[in-house]
Amino acid sequence: MVFSTPYFLFLYLPAVLFLYYISPFRYRNFILLVFNLLFYGWGEPVYILLMIFTIVLDYFAGLIVHRCKQRDDDRGARWAVGVSLALNLAILFFFKYWDLVATTLQSIGVPMPVLNLTLPIGISFYTFQTMTYPVDIYRGDAEVPKNLVSFGTFVTLFPQLIAGPIIKYKELADQMNFRTHSPEQFASGVQMFTIGLAKKVLLANSIGQLWDVYLATPGAELTTLGAWLGILAFSMQLYFDFSGYSDMAVGMGRMMGFEFLANFNYPYLAKSATEFWRRWHISLGSWFREYLYIPLGGNRVKAPRLVFNLFVVWACTGIWHGASWNFLIWGLYYFLIIVFERFFFSKVLNKLPGWVGHIYGLFIVMVGWALFAVEDFAAMGLYLKAMFGMGAGLLDSSFLYYLRNYLPILIIAILASTPLAAALWKKLSVRARQVAIPVLVLAGLALATAYLVDGTYNPFLYFRF
Amino acid sequence: MGKKYSIFITVLFCLFTFGFGAALLLLPDREFSEQENRYLTQFEAPTLDNVFGENGEFMANFEKYVNDQFPLRDEWIHLKAWSERLIGKQENNDVYFGGEGQQTLFAQYTPPSDLAQRVEYVNQLGANVDVPVYFALIPDKSYVWADRLPDNAPLVDDGSTIQQAQGLVSGDVNFIDLSGALSGDDVFYRTDHHWSTMGAYQGYVALMTTMNGTCTILDSEPTLVSDTFYGTTWSSAGAAWVEPDEMYTWVPEGGLTGHTTVTRYPNGSPVDGSLYDLSRLEVKDKYSMFLGGNQGLCVIRNPDAEGGRLLVVRDSYADSLAPFLSLDYQEVHLFDLRYNRLSLNQYVQDNGIDQVLVLYSNSNFSTDANLALLGL
Repeated sequence: MVFSTPYFLFLYLPAVLFLYYISPFRYRNFILLVFNLLFYGWGEPVYILLMIFTIVLDYFAGLIVHRCKQRDDDRGARWAVGVSLALNLAILFFFKYWDLVATTLQSIGVPMPVLNLTLPIGISFYTFQTMTYPVDIYRGDAEVPKNLVSFGTFVTLFPQLIAGPIIKYKELADQMNFRTHSPEQFASGVQMFTIGLAKKVLLANSIGQLWDVYLATPGAELTTLGAWLGILAFSMQLYFDFSGYSDMAVGMGRMMGFEFLANFNYPYLAKSATEFWRRWHISLGSWFREYLYIPLGGNRVKAPRLVFNLFVVWACTGIWHGASWNFLIWGLYYFLIIVFERFFFSKVLNKLPGWVGHIYGLFIVMVGWALFAVEDFAAMGLYLKAMFGMGAGLLDSSFLYYLRNYLPILIIAILASTPLAAALWKKLSVRARQVAIPVLVLAGLALATAYLVDGTYNPFLYFRF
Repeated sequence: MGKKYSIFITVLFCLFTFGFGAALLLLPDREFSEQENRYLTQFEAPTLDNVFGENGEFMANFEKYVNDQFPLRDEWIHLKAWSERLIGKQENNDVYFGGEGQQTLFAQYTPPSDLAQRVEYVNQLGANVDVPVYFALIPDKSYVWADRLPDNAPLVDDGSTIQQAQGLVSGDVNFIDLSGALSGDDVFYRTDHHWSTMGAYQGYVALMTTMNGTCTILDSEPTLVSDTFYGTTWSSAGAAWVEPDEMYTWVPEGGLTGHTTVTRYPNGSPVDGSLYDLSRLEVKDKYSMFLGGNQGLCVIRNPDAEGGRLLVVRDSYADSLAPFLSLDYQEVHLFDLRYNRLSLNQYVQDNGIDQVLVLYSNSNFSTDANLALLGL
């Protein structure tokens, strides 16, 4: 299931909220677990079994870690952590990367069957989430869960199941057992959810149509300004899509008494690649830092080892984003730039005026998105060539048309990706805000509904004769 | 935020989501959408098989059901089109808004990538039959009314399809270039892709000049029969601000002498028809007024005409043209490749056809999947 659909928004969500709030607190996790599994299994019901297997596996792995620690059996605890991590990664590898490896090996003559399995939704997110559990128990950062239901609810929590934020067990362990509910929190959740929905449906989807145009343009016909307009559109689409989902997750979490950490902090304000990754998909960055980079030794090692650690982290970050080699390239692109910044360029950048840093940061990020967004290598090459002036000229008439048509929404998007709107909002009087909130919430919900219903608009075009 | 105010916001959100959800479940389901001209998805109860079966049909169907039956569906679609227009867009759902007050709608046009193959099928027909074969393409509205398009609109007909097609026809086929034939403010519908009655008349004059050497000049003015026509382009665009089109008839029913008859073959067997079926003006698909809409074969007979027997390989544009053709030919046979799998060559021989006209609009010629049947 996805959030931005009429059946989620008008049937699933009201049903969850209704049953959740009429139930006594001790049954609420159970109600949530049932609905989470419905959400998860909607597209592929058999995968509910996979999910239950994952939950049971990790739950007992955590318990074993806990028992071993109580008996001071560090070796046993490490074994349990290791087995759990290995099984989780094996499941992730099997469903997500098997076909990539198989097709690649096939192309060099090694016979491997391609399975064409449907990817279980959110597997990259929830696998990372469950893997934190035995580790956090081992490190003594969290208590073992009360029961299987409470743990299962944590793993499957529908607001953040499919697109994050990736929540560590230790961040949510207490909230699974006890959380408060108040109208203030619910109303704040309503606002957050509406903002997220509007970001996703009104900004990301609309601007995405512009990117679709340029992605579909044959490489030989791409002009330089056209290629940059396309990447600008993709940058905006991806940010508002992803951060819209995160906002909706935070909003729905609040409606049910959860508090999740923010996942984005105005990433396009970054003045370097290093800073971009502190602002973009924060929960993933912090996951890799805590559960991979620091265990590898972090930055308290000699330079060659540091470079190696960075290489491992960025290769993993890249390939986490999708089962296609271009994501690995995209990760390694950041590895090179971040090493470059760390050992040399950051000192230079710090001395330059801020606007140079902004231009540098945006340039790095947008070129990176071209690696990210164009999966086919030949097409990616042509796209980059066009961006760097080796395409079909500077601009063509279609560029003028698309610029004219998308300029207003691009301006809105660019402004919305800065703290400007939030700053203006704070300047309003309390009274003005009280009037504005319900108007904006209703307008946001209504417009999003119009775009969602239209997205399924499917007139039978009898004009084909 | 105070407690009371928070409760107010909470209630607002719940009213909106619970309210439309409840309305969706409680309101009676619609069978058919006039605006979209199609049957809407109905609820299907879940069973073990359709939930856990191979394709998860229940879930897919349920999603469609909710979308199709969503309360105020048509109004939401109009709201979205308005919103796109207000944010400065000149298109919605693959339709350009153009002309004064954005009252003219253009379905986006993509030229075919396999034009040579498509024209080759026409060439095969020319080689197969013993009678003269004429071939004409009707330029897209975006070519004829280019001055009404949004500036620099990319997906339009720039005339190259017709130009290239002309270069591809063999010596067995007489190409008639219609790119300059249509002009004026009323040759197309603003809300539909078809040419209007007046446009079809201009097309008729151009075709007859080549095929017949002469054409019939009508003394009478066209007769207004409807001023509430919303065409398919309007349906796609959801453009509620656009005024409806007018529809006209021109040739008198029965022809100029009252002897013209129409025989339709909607299901393979003959039925009496008429040049203009005014009862079709009661439904959304008003364009089907011309000869009663799509059919595999339709024959118009005018015993008083001087010309012989003409076979037209048709798309729907031919329906509003055919009444004019019947002024000059004793028999006009409208042959639709989609519904009629008879061999064209055989049909030409069996019916003593004197001339064949392959007439398609540019967009239909670019997309039709049955052109290979021309050469059989």
